[in-house]
Amino acid sequence: MNNSSTDKSSTSKNKLWFFLAPFVIFLLLVGFLLKGLFSDPRERDSAIMNQSLPDFALNDLMVDGKQWQKDKLIGEAFLLNVWGTWCITCDQELPYLTELRQQGVKIVGLYYDQSDPDFDEKLDIQQLRLGVSEKLLRLGNPYQFNIFDESREMLLDLGVTGAPETFLVDAKGVIRVHHLGDVNPRVWQSKFAGLYAQLSDENGTISKGGTK
Amino acid sequence: MIPQLGYLSLTIALGLAVMLAIFPMWGAKRGNVQLMNTATTLALAVFFFTLLSFLALMYAFVTDDFSVAYVAGHSNTLLPTRYKVTAIWGGHEGSFLLWVFIYSIWMAAVALRSQAIPLLIRARVLGVMGLLSIGFYLFILLMSNPFDSLLPYFPVDGRDLNPLLQDVGMIIHPPLLYMGYVGLSVSFAFAIAALMTGKLDSTWAKWSRPWTVAAWMFLTLGITVGSWWAYYELGWGGWWFWDPVENASLMPWLIATALIHSFAVTEKRGIFKSWTVLLAITAFSLSLVGTFLVRSGIVVSVHAFASDPSRGLFILGFLSVVISASLVLYAVKATHMKSYVKYTMFSREVFLWGNNIILTVATLVVLLGTFMPMIHKELGMGSISIGAPFFSEIFSYLLLPFAMLLGITPLMRWKQNKIGALKKRVIIAVVISVAVGFLWVSLTRSVMDNMAVLGVILAIWVTISTLQGIHAKANSTKQGWSVLAKMSGSEWSMVLGHMGFAVALVGMVLTSAYSVEKDVRMLPGDSIELAGYDFQFKKINPINAENYSGHAAVVEVSYDGEKVAHMVAEKRFYKVQTSVMTEAAVDAGLTRDLFVALGEQFNDGSWALRLYHKPFIRWIWFGGLFMALGGICAMSDKRYRAKRKALIGQPLTDAKPVNLNAEAQA
Repeated sequence: MNNSSTDKSSTSKNKLWFFLAPFVIFLLLVGFLLKGLFSDPRERDSAIMNQSLPDFALNDLMVDGKQWQKDKLIGEAFLLNVWGTWCITCDQELPYLTELRQQGVKIVGLYYDQSDPDFDEKLDIQQLRLGVSEKLLRLGNPYQFNIFDESREMLLDLGVTGAPETFLVDAKGVIRVHHLGDVNPRVWQSKFAGLYAQLSDENGTISKGGTK
Repeated sequence: MIPQLGYLSLTIALGLAVMLAIFPMWGAKRGNVQLMNTATTLALAVFFFTLLSFLALMYAFVTDDFSVAYVAGHSNTLLPTRYKVTAIWGGHEGSFLLWVFIYSIWMAAVALRSQAIPLLIRARVLGVMGLLSIGFYLFILLMSNPFDSLLPYFPVDGRDLNPLLQDVGMIIHPPLLYMGYVGLSVSFAFAIAALMTGKLDSTWAKWSRPWTVAAWMFLTLGITVGSWWAYYELGWGGWWFWDPVENASLMPWLIATALIHSFAVTEKRGIFKSWTVLLAITAFSLSLVGTFLVRSGIVVSVHAFASDPSRGLFILGFLSVVISASLVLYAVKATHMKSYVKYTMFSREVFLWGNNIILTVATLVVLLGTFMPMIHKELGMGSISIGAPFFSEIFSYLLLPFAMLLGITPLMRWKQNKIGALKKRVIIAVVISVAVGFLWVSLTRSVMDNMAVLGVILAIWVTISTLQGIHAKANSTKQGWSVLAKMSGSEWSMVLGHMGFAVALVGMVLTSAYSVEKDVRMLPGDSIELAGYDFQFKKINPINAENYSGHAAVVEVSYDGEKVAHMVAEKRFYKVQTSVMTEAAVDAGLTRDLFVALGEQFNDGSWALRLYHKPFIRWIWFGGLFMALGGICAMSDKRYRAKRKALIGQPLTDAKPVNLNAEAQA
């Protein structure tokens, strides 16, 4: 008698769980809806995130005959900034980037040229260098050096959709941040500053370990 | 002045809704007839004050009262009056007022049309509806007030209604869809009231069913009109885009379709009660989730209103409370539900249930496809996008079993069937549908498309088995075809609903398989051939209307040298909103649509034109109309009215002691 009554209550308990299933599914959905409410549906993750910087061999923008490769760049955390003299938003971020350079942040420029050979626009490198120098003189020069991606293969590999875009690359050459749009104090604080401090710290300890 | 009165009467409606949520429920608990009787009066009063508020906003629109922020944002003195009225639901705040207004219409309808239902149930149904409406009224008054004032500085003219919405589709699509969405709250309220009383039986199904059918009918019409509107107005040339917000209307529709069939089983046989209740709760829950999707900005969609997380948070909180409470109530009560009716595997009950399962699976697929990109992202697995190919593939797998069951189930009997009785009919139907379907496609099309052949065969299968059902009835009653005249509303609704499905299916598969399109660059005078039709670009005319200007391309279409259509495709520039709109030209036909959309002009004076040939596309919407017509037939069934008369004479309180006992046990 006793036995059978516990049996009965346990089956009705099982039954209750069965009928509670829709409620549980609903709660899960609400959890995700709540999270989704506070994130931007238009935001897209970059495909290059946490991938290694693609291999390349590209010329320096300003110096003839000088070539840059991937292994010459990596070794410490740095910013790779895609820009062009034609890009108005880039003008906005140049002064702030220059400020960052003065604070000791290593910034490498990746120059994005817009002239289109398909429309018979011949690239005049001297003219371009003149324009670049003029702009950097006027707004500040944040770059240690500029890489010139004339064929746009590197830009394509990085998944660049326009300018300006900025990548944070760590000492091992892995891309840790991919930011679309200008870098300003707000963006730097929220997206870059913490990670950059951490990465350059790590780098510091590694090099310290090396000296021991 | 008038707008302030509109706001005031909305506040009064909220107060009345609070009373509606408390008094009748309290009365039902205490067995107080007087308190329960307040339900009808209060429901009508809520309706009346919401109506006043709606009229106040309409007045503000018609009189160009730009001191109201919402009017200034969505109307303009140049806007034709019919669109001034339509502009009421052209934005978030006003469309929510429409939602609330329609909700109060349903509430008043239930109050007036359910006098035959025992007072205890009626009081609880209206009480539940009142309780739900508190959330809606709070939301509109606190977070989406359409009467917000711009005084003392208001603009001399408004920003105009989005040109996309200045169309006849906008006049009818949102009200129909909302009638459907909100109407499902009635079946929800009936389900909750029945769970509270603990009496889920065939009488509950009988009361709730016509309301559910009505809501389903509006939802069907709303979706059909929406699909047709998107087709010709957006200039996309498609009929369904698996847009998150379209999905949000499809999900309640699929569940409501399952629900009206499940109701049939519960009403006729007194079984599947807990399943039917769950469907009723789910249908309305999904329409709340749909509201959340549209108004929270959680998804990117052409339908989505401007995003505002605080609004989203309110709706999410509201729907969590409502749905959680009802699902927990369901879990507790459903555990004690039992049916004692016997049936075998090979019976109408089981087959209907089978199709219910398929519809539910389809809903889950849509739910998953709609939310998966978001869930994926929130789990940190990166962005993915789920589009038409995913849905089309899974729906094509579900189609075969669904259509097979849909054809065969009406031929079956309740409880059990002998296989032999069905065998002959099924074999005939299969042979005819395969042969006719195959011939049809192979004779009219140069290429055989698997999905098109399958779809056409299944559509013919459904048609033939539906006709066989009528034939069987004619035989058994020995009335011959005069049986048609004696068919009840319910029987007609089944025939029309199922034929509607077949018609829509033909349209869907043939359009998907055989549509052709061409993007061309043409100078006036050029002509081009598409699917045997010769499109000649005659000339381009400038246009100048009240609130827009632009160009109109005149295209003449001929087939075998014979002129078949004179089409004018427009590109409009709306002055106030400075936006460009494409007004496509459509030449509609029973077996094909021709579609021309005008694009940009090139430097050399030529124009970009997009031409389509879409076979059988109109059948999709005809199918939807048939289904909705079926819904009307079901509602007009004599049974619902006859019962009403019979019940009116009964004392309204006689069911009460039993129910109170039931509640005490629970």
